Amino acid sequence: MSHFSTVRTELRQREPLMAALRDLGYEPEAGSRPVRGYRGQTIDADLAVILQDGGDLGFRWNAATGAYELVTDLDLWRQPVPVERFLSRLTQRYALNTVLTASTDEGFTVSEQRSCQDGSIELVVTRWDA
Amino acid sequence: MPQRTLRFRIHADGRVEERVEGVAGEACLALTERLEAALGSVVRRESTTEAYSTNAQQIQTVPVEHV
Repeated sequence: MSHFSTVRTELRQREPLMAALRDLGYEPEAGSRPVRGYRGQTIDADLAVILQDGGDLGFRWNAATGAYELVTDLDLWRQPVPVERFLSRLTQRYALNTVLTASTDEGFTVSEQRSCQDGSIELVVTRWDA
Repeated sequence: MPQRTLRFRIHADGRVEERVEGVAGEACLALTERLEAALGSVVRRESTTEAYSTNAQQIQTVPVEHV
């Protein structure tokens, strides 16, 4: 069945979010913990990346939207890319991990995966049906 | 035994395009629905005339937005 869908994508699931953070070189820790900001102030998050330099990265579950939200002190942002770019890359890796997991669960096998020059990722999955 | 092939392009800005090659069977629909549930809420869905063809190509654009 052919159709076009428009989906407003959110960081809905913890596992692909954790995997996306690991893909970007971070070590996320699950479970409720405080993230540190300016002058040692803290705010509670549901998963966090504890950093040596600058403030921590936290993600808080928003029950109203059913998605995780980044919580961090932007005055202490010391990451190699601006926060908007960080969220773009994180969202791309989140989408990739979600597609990989869902494809495998539905019995598909990855036959091709490559990074394109424009920064996109091409993925081909196949399945033989009886 | 038909081979189902799905191509995804996951853009740097988060948009996901899905294309089904060959016969779009139940397996492809199940995967598509699963992805929509995991990635976000469907705000718009349009069936095309190809919905009634069994061997048409299926193109789906799934934009990924930030929270």
